[in-house]
Amino acid sequence: MKKVIKFSKMFIPCVSLSVLIVLFGIFGLITKGFNLGIDFQAGFIEKVSIAPPSFSLLYSGTQTVKVTQSSSEIDLVVTGVGGSDNKTFKFPYATYPTVGSLASAITTVPDVTMTVTSPNDTALKSVFPDSEILPKLSAVPYAFHYVPANSSVISSDEIRKTISMYPDAAVQVVGAPSERTFQIRLNDDGTDPNASANLRTGLTKAFSDKFGAENLAVISNDFVGSRFSQNLASQAAWLVLATLAVIWLYCALRFRWDFAIGCVLSVFHDALIMVAFVVWSRMSFNSTTIAAILTILGYSINDTIVVFDRIRENMRLYPNMKMTDVLNFAQTEILGRTIVTTTVTMVSVLSLFIFTTGDMKDFALALLVGMTSGVYSTIYIASAFVDLVASRRKDGGMLVEKKKVSREVATGELV
Amino acid sequence: MSKKSRLAIILVVLAVCFAFLWPSIKWFYFTPKEDQALALGSREKIKDYAHNMAVSDLKKLMEDARADQKGAIDSKFSSLVSEARKNTKAVKKAIPSTWTARTILAAFPSESDVLTFLENGYREKILATKNTQGSAVKLGLDLSGGMSIIIKADLDAAVASSKASITDLATFKKEAMKQAMDTLTSRIDQFGLSEPVIRQQGEDRIYIELPGAADSERINSIIMGKGMLSFHIVDSDATTAFLSYYQAHPTSTFDADYKLLDSSIIPADTEVLGLYTKDSYGIDERTSFIVIKKDVGLEGKHIQGAQTERDNISGQPKVTFTLDAEGTKIFADLTAANIKKSLAIVSDNKVKSHAVIQEAIPSGQVQLSGFSSTEAENIKAVLKTAWLNVPLSMESQSVIGASMGEDAIRQGVMAISFGLLGVFLYMLLYYKGSGINACLAQVLNIYIMFAVLSAFGLTLSLSSIAGMILTVGMAVDANVLIFERIKEEMRLKKGRASCVAAGFDHAFWAIMDSNITTFIAAVFLTQLGTGSIKGFAYSLAIGVISSVFTALFVSHLMFDFDTQVLKRKTISISWRTKI
Repeated sequence: MKKVIKFSKMFIPCVSLSVLIVLFGIFGLITKGFNLGIDFQAGFIEKVSIAPPSFSLLYSGTQTVKVTQSSSEIDLVVTGVGGSDNKTFKFPYATYPTVGSLASAITTVPDVTMTVTSPNDTALKSVFPDSEILPKLSAVPYAFHYVPANSSVISSDEIRKTISMYPDAAVQVVGAPSERTFQIRLNDDGTDPNASANLRTGLTKAFSDKFGAENLAVISNDFVGSRFSQNLASQAAWLVLATLAVIWLYCALRFRWDFAIGCVLSVFHDALIMVAFVVWSRMSFNSTTIAAILTILGYSINDTIVVFDRIRENMRLYPNMKMTDVLNFAQTEILGRTIVTTTVTMVSVLSLFIFTTGDMKDFALALLVGMTSGVYSTIYIASAFVDLVASRRKDGGMLVEKKKVSREVATGELV
Repeated sequence: MSKKSRLAIILVVLAVCFAFLWPSIKWFYFTPKEDQALALGSREKIKDYAHNMAVSDLKKLMEDARADQKGAIDSKFSSLVSEARKNTKAVKKAIPSTWTARTILAAFPSESDVLTFLENGYREKILATKNTQGSAVKLGLDLSGGMSIIIKADLDAAVASSKASITDLATFKKEAMKQAMDTLTSRIDQFGLSEPVIRQQGEDRIYIELPGAADSERINSIIMGKGMLSFHIVDSDATTAFLSYYQAHPTSTFDADYKLLDSSIIPADTEVLGLYTKDSYGIDERTSFIVIKKDVGLEGKHIQGAQTERDNISGQPKVTFTLDAEGTKIFADLTAANIKKSLAIVSDNKVKSHAVIQEAIPSGQVQLSGFSSTEAENIKAVLKTAWLNVPLSMESQSVIGASMGEDAIRQGVMAISFGLLGVFLYMLLYYKGSGINACLAQVLNIYIMFAVLSAFGLTLSLSSIAGMILTVGMAVDANVLIFERIKEEMRLKKGRASCVAAGFDHAFWAIMDSNITTFIAAVFLTQLGTGSIKGFAYSLAIGVISSVFTALFVSHLMFDFDTQVLKRKTISISWRTKI
C-alpha cells in the first residue's frame, strides 16, 4: 500500500491562500475593472490593412462570376441561368505562383479582363481581397491587394493622427509592423442611433483621405450596439448561478448536502480565481472569456466528483476511519489519475494555446489557469469543506454511510 | 449484454454516424463548385436554370428529329429514354431498337410533356444538391468569412405608430415582427447571396448571417431602407410584347441580376418586374413578368388600413382598404383615367398582385376581388407594410474576411492535430498497450462528434473545434479512471479478465457522475446567446456523451476481444504494475 499523503495538513494554509487570491481579484475588479472586449463595451472594431492593389478583375458578360480564394487556389465560378456555360476555373498557386502567371492564364475565362498594378512576380498566395466587397465580378473592378516587400512601416501613432477626430480610438498593430495591418477600436456612447454606419464610413473616409481609397483593405470589423452588450452580461451571470444551482441539486441527490456545497464552493472558487487572473492580466473580457469560465465550471466539477466518488466508496469500505483520514486516503489513491488526466487535458489545451491567435489563445490560457485551480480546489476547497462539516457533526460525517455499508456487504458487492 | 450484441451496437453506431457524415463529405469533396453555386442560389434562379436547360435540350432534340438523325441520342438523356420506354409500353406499342430523337419525341403525348419531364429532371438534380448542403456541416462565419448582423425591431414604436386601434397587443407584436422578418427575407433574397440565414432571436431581434463576404454599405442600405409600397399602372401591350420576346430569348434577356440586357425592348417609361405569389412554403415565387409604368400611380403611405372579408352575394374573398383624403383624390383621378387597365401593387421591386380597374373609384374605399382566400390574406399582409411601420436598428454587425477564415481553419486543424498527437503519445507512453484502446476511443470520439454536428445541422466554428479539443482531453479522463482501477485490481494479483471487469465496474459511477455534471454545465452554456459560446457548448455536450460511450462500450469490448479472441493473459497497462 502506498504511503498516505497528509493533504489535510495543508488545509488551513491553502484555504487562506485561496481567500487572499480571491480577495486580491475582487480588489482588482473594483479598482481596475475588466478590460472589456467588444461584446461588453459598445463600439466598433475594424482590422484594416494599408495595402495597394495588386490586380483587379473586370467582367463584361451576362453570367454570375464569383471569386473564391482558399489556401491553395483562386477559383472563378461561372454560373448562369443559361446553364451551358456553368464552369469553375481553378487557378492553384502551385501552377500559377505569381500574379503575372495568373494574368496570362486568366484569358481563358470568357469576358474577364485583368489589370495588373503590382510587379508581375508578386506571389499569388500573398494577395487578399477587401472583405467588405462582394466577391462577385462586374463592370466595377474587383481588386486584390498585397503588401509590397519594401514598403515603409507605418507607426500606430501615424494611424492615431489620421483618425484624430476620434480621440478615444484605440490603435493596435496586428502581426509584424511590415504587414501594415492595424486594429482600430472606436467607442459608441449610444447617442447616435445610426452609429454602426457612421463609425464605419467615418473611419473609412479618414483612411481614404490619408492613404487613398484604393490602398485600403478591410480584413474584418465588428460592431456591437450598447443595449446588446448589457443583455449578454446579465444573461451570463444568471446562467452561472443557474448552472451552479442545478449542479448543487445533482450532487445533493447523488452524494450529500455538505458534499454538494463543497462542490459548488470549489467551482465558485475556480471562477473567482479566473476572474482574478483575467482582471490582473488585463486580458480582454468578452464572450469567449465567459465561455472559458463556464467550461471550467464543468471541468472542475468533473474533477471534484471523481474524487468525491472515491471518498464515498472509502467511507463505505472503512466505516471506522476518521473523516480526515478517509479524505487523505482517497486523495492519495486517486492522485495518479488526477495527475494523468490533468496533464493530458493540459496537453490538448496547450496545443490550442500554441496554434491559435487572438481570442482563442486567451481562451486557452484562461482554461490552463482554470484547470490548475480546478485540481487544486478539489483537494483544498471541496475536501476541506467536507472535513470542516464532518468535524462539527456528532457522527463525524460518517454515520449515514455506515448503514449503507452493512446493506452493501450483504449484497456481496465488496467481495 | 453479450459481446456479440455489444459489437453489433457499436457497428450500428458507426454506420449511423457515417450516414450522418455522408452529406458533408459529398458536399465538400464531391460537388463541383459550379453546382454548389447553383444550389446555393435563389429558388428563382434554380427555376430559370432548369427551364432554360430543358428548353435548349428540347430544341436540340427537335432539330435532330427534323434532320432525321439515325444515331442513338446522347447518353445524358438516359432518364428520358426510360420514361419514353414506359410510355410506349403503356400504349402497347413496339419498343424501337435504338432510341433516336424522333422516336423519343414520338413516345410522348406532346412536346410540352417532354419539356416538363426534362425540366423536372434538372430541377430535382439541383434540389437534391441543395438538400445535401442542407444536411451537411455548415462552416461558421469565423471559418468561411462573411457578415453577421443582429437587428432590433422597435415594437413599441410600431405600436405607437399604428393608426388602427390595437385589440390584442401580443398578437399585434407577433404580426409586426413577422412582417419585419418577411420584408428582410425578401430584400436579402433579392441580393442573390448564397444561403443567407435569417432567424428571429428572442421577442424582438432578428439575426442575419451572410456567408462568403458582403458589401456592408449596400447591405446596410437594403436592410435599413424603408419599405416602399406603391401602385403602378400596367402596360399590357408592352407586357405581351415582352413575354413573347422572353420566350424567344430565355437566356439572353436578363443579366445575372435580372437587369435587361437590351433596354429597348420595352417603352422607355416602363420597367419589367417579376410577378410573385407565395408558394406553399410561404416563399415568394415568381410566376411571370409584368411591364409597368415607372411613374408611381399612388404611394403606399396613403393607405390607412386593410382587411379581408367575403363578398355578401358571391361569398368570394376580397380585400378592402381605405385611403386618406389626399390619397382618395389621387386614386379617383388615376382610376378614372385608366378604366379597363390593370393596376399593380408593387413592394420592394416585386409585383405582388394586379387587378383590372372596372370603374373610377372616388370614395377612397377600394375593393380587390377575384382571388383565393390565401391570396387575399397575402395581399392584405402586403398592404399592411404600407402603414405598419416597424423601425429597425442595427445592434451588432461583424464582417470577417475570407482570408481570416482560411487562417482560422488552418489554426483549428493544427491545434486539433497536435492536440490529438500529444494526447496519443502521452497515453501510449504511459499506458503502453492499453493506450491503444484509449487512442482508438479518441479517434471514434472525433468521428462521432463530427457526425452528430452534421446530423443536427450545427455550425462548425473555431470555438466548436476548441470544444472538441477540450473534450478529447476530458474524454481521456474516463479511460484514465478505468485504467487506474484496473491497475489497482492488478496489484491484488487477480487474473486479466477479472481485473478488466472489476476496473470497468468500479469506475462506472465516477465516470457517469462526472460526465453528467459536465453535461449539465454544457447544456446551460448552449443557452447563452452568442454563436461562439454556443458552438463550443454543443460540441462539449456531444463530446461528453460520445466519450462515455467510447470509454464504457468500445474500450471495454476491445479489452474483452484481446482476452477472449487473442487469448491474452496479461495486461500491458503500466511500466511497473504487472500481472
